This record gives sequence, structure tokens and C-alpha cells, in this order.
Amino acid sequence: MIPPTLDATDMSSLSLTTDDIRRQSQQDLERRQQAGSKLDVEKIHRYGAFVGSVVERHRSLARAMDYCRELIAATEGSGRSVRSGTVVFADSLNRPRGRFDRVWHAPVGGLWGCLIHANTLLESSRRFVPLAVGVACCEAVRELGGTQAVLRWVNDVLVDGRKLAGFLVEGHTGPFYGEEYNLIGFGININNSCFPAELAGAAVSLAEVLGHPVDLNLFSQSFLAHLSFTLGLLYFAEDELLQEENQGQDWHPLLSRWRELSDSLGRQVVYGLDVMMKPQYQAFAADLSVDGGLILKFADGYEKIEHCGEIRYL
Amino acid sequence: MSNEIDFDEILSKYRSDPFDYVDVCATHTGTVTFKVVEGDDVQAPSGEWLQIPGTALYEINRERNPKLIAAQTNGVVSTVRTELEGRFVEAGERLITIKHPLKKKEIIENILKEVLYLFRAPERAKYFFALDVQSRIEKKGARAVTVDQGEEVLTMSLMKRDTPIYYSGERGVIHSVYFKPGVSVSQGEPLLGVCAPEKLPLIQKIITRVKADWDSE
Repeated sequence: MIPPTLDATDMSSLSLTTDDIRRQSQQDLERRQQAGSKLDVEKIHRYGAFVGSVVERHRSLARAMDYCRELIAATEGSGRSVRSGTVVFADSLNRPRGRFDRVWHAPVGGLWGCLIHANTLLESSRRFVPLAVGVACCEAVRELGGTQAVLRWVNDVLVDGRKLAGFLVEGHTGPFYGEEYNLIGFGININNSCFPAELAGAAVSLAEVLGHPVDLNLFSQSFLAHLSFTLGLLYFAEDELLQEENQGQDWHPLLSRWRELSDSLGRQVVYGLDVMMKPQYQAFAADLSVDGGLILKFADGYEKIEHCGEIRYL
Repeated sequence: MSNEIDFDEILSKYRSDPFDYVDVCATHTGTVTFKVVEGDDVQAPSGEWLQIPGTALYEINRERNPKLIAAQTNGVVSTVRTELEGRFVEAGERLITIKHPLKKKEIIENILKEVLYLFRAPERAKYFFALDVQSRIEKKGARAVTVDQGEEVLTMSLMKRDTPIYYSGERGVIHSVYFKPGVSVSQGEPLLGVCAPEKLPLIQKIITRVKADWDSE
């Protein structure tokens, strides 16, 4: 049974396929091997190979996450399971929203969609999924020339203080089998450069940053290849941790990469669960904790570690 | 939830011993070094954002990674398992007991926790009401909002990963809210106290009775 919101896939301007993603991932693997990565990148590559197992392309959807929930229910209802790594793209979203029901503008030209990940990670790794998607996007943007791209904790991708990409990860339990999924929603401004008044000055597209239009298929391939690596890295690190000789090792390789890409540390910030509507306090972003929390230092010297919420720079 | 509550018995229990005995257990495996002795006063975390840690209770060292564990509640140390000093312990081993003096409000909460249906946190995370429930609470107040089995009632947020939490328990009104938006709740701690609408008068009776019979704050 197909969810009622499904459009004809061949109407999408994207032409990305599973084979394109595999090819890009293979190139990414070879590049990392040539760069002499200390990690077992081939193993990581295998762990992340599920990303893009199925690719759906739509001209328009209301919300990609809602569509994915419908897809899971419909597939389970017909006695099957959705393939982990299924990616749903839409050229535009009619009713997009960010966290806390914030307005999100998703017109033609951007990369909008959702990845369905069957959550087989341990609880201690699951919390890194939002970081993994931010790192993947930031790396893809840099790879295509947006070398100024940085990460703001948790996973916003910024260029010169303006937001280029945002992500929303939601847990979801399948209605028939009780299987747990991560729905990884992504919204990346690529060739869309007209933003509504409330976002003017706060948002930027990759085309604006580079000064020329960007091949959406090329960026999508790169983004998913990097996402394949960072999600694979979560499984790889779990595997390593479970090896007896690594029990004492406590610094996750994804966090190392996040720190290299972020400009959040060493800055004065305002923190809040919903920082736009209810800013809670100001502090100095000192470091990350081993579990990905943000260590915030107060003027009186005391520290507090936040594991959710968001920050804005002062 | 029972309709039959022996108020006199409950109140006399709290009158004779108005304390909570809070067990402090090993957070994980490791070698323990105690930082307090029996009879010591200990303080809970303080500061506007609870950023000032409580009194250091013990240090636990695993793989040359020492961790200082601080008190989460105020009171007096009533028991220290000194036989474990310098020894390796398993996660969850009881190490210290703190005798915590109860305030009137805490006594009411403790009694209510015995009679309300407690909906507990599935994971350590921050929680906030689902948008629909939040708007109903803002319009009518929590105690006028009824939640049903299977209803999306909360959102659990951890590292910008939001998970809808569906209510599982008896249908009822939200009587007590035990979490604050932006403050982490540990796994298993209560988030909501729910009771059937027809049992609200009984709950109110408990509160009135404790307020009337209890002198100090």
C-alpha cells in the first residue's frame, strides 16, 4: 500500500539514485584511505552502507517526516518493513516546520527530505545521530567549496553567522511491529536564495556563498556519502568500545571531527531549551563533554553540562 | 489507586519520622573513596541554574578516571558503608544514606505519589509537553486536561533528537507535573501524576488534611 501523499517520483528535478550514492561513497572511501586516516575506514564504510538503500524523489510533499511516518505505517501494514537508509527527497515542502513549530521555508532549489534509520544503536550512541548529520552536511558544504562552513552546537551549519542548514531528528516507533526509527529530517539551502522577511539576514544558501548555482544532485550525493560515513562511524565506535581492550577509551571519533568543524567552543553564548522564545542564561562555551554535551562555564567559575537545547552566539 | 486512605496512619507515620532516607549508590563500577563521615551535613546543588554542585560524597575511580560524586539532596549522612572504603564496587551498590528532612510540600508530594498514577521518564533527558497538550494546559490549566492511553503527551529531547512520548496508564487528569522544561529528568523518575477525574476530590482532601495537620513548613 502506498501512502496517499505519494507523488509521481519522476517529476522531481533530482535524479539521484542508490547507485549514485554508492559510487560517491566509494570515492569518499578511497579519498579517506589516501589521506591516511587512522580509522578503519573500510569497516566504517561497510557499517554506513545502508544510507540511500532506497531513494524516493517527489516534486512536493507537505512534510517529509510526516510522509516517512505514513510510509512506515503503510509498509508495516502490508506485512513488510521499511528498509533502513530509505531517503525521501522533495523539491519543495508545503508545510515545513522546525523545532517547536518554528517556521521553516522550503521552496524549490533547496535540499529537503528525511532519512529513515532503523535505530539499532545503543542508547549511548543514539544521542550522537544529530551530531553525525551536522558533521556530514558541514563536510559536504566544505567539499563543494563552502570552506567557511562551521557547526554551531548541536548541528546547525552556518556560514558567516548565517544558517545554511538545519536538522531535526525525531524518534518514531512503527505502529505494527514496534520497531524504533530515527527520522533524520534535513533542510539545506542550496540554490534557493529568496527568504521570507523573518529569515532575511539570518539564512544563506550555498549558491550565494559560492557565487554560482550548485548541482543539486552532486551536493545530495556528497551529503549522503558523508552521512553514510558518520552514521557508519557510530556503529564502528560502538564495535570498538565493545572490544575489551578499548574499555578505557572515552573520546568518540565523531566528537573529534565535530570539534574540528565547530566554532562554538570558546565563545560567549546564550542558552535555552527554546533559545529564541525563552533564553535561559548566558555562559562561556568551554568544551564538549565525552557524551557530546556542551560544557558551559558561568562567570562565577561553575560549570554546567547541557545535553539538549540550543545556543546563540553573543 | 485506592479510595480507602487511612489519613491518620499516614500522617502519624510522617509525624514520628519526618525524613526521607535517600540511598546514594555507585554510579558505575570502580574503587570507592568516601569524602564524608556519619553525621556530616550535606548540601544539594544550588545556584540559579543548580550549577553549584552539592557536597562531595565519594570519589569513584575506574580505569584511572576518578569521578567525584556530589549530593543531590540536603540532609545529614546517616550511614556510610565504611567497609567499602578503597574497595572495588559494582554499579548500583548502596554506599551512603542521607537523612533528608521533609518539608510540608514534600510530604504532600510523597503522599500523592502513593495515590496518583505516575508516568515515568523512559530515558534521562529533558521533557516538554506536546504542542497540543501544552496549548490545552495554557487555556484551561493542567488539572483540567485529561490524557488518554496512547495520546502523545510529551516530547523527550536529548541532543536535539526529539521523541514523542505516548501516555500509557489509566485515563485521567494531569494532577502533578514533576518536570520543568529545560531541566534533565533521570530515567525512571516521575514526569506526571495522573488521576481519574472522579478521584480529584480525594486528592484535594489529602492536601487539605496535611496542610491543616502539619504545623511547620
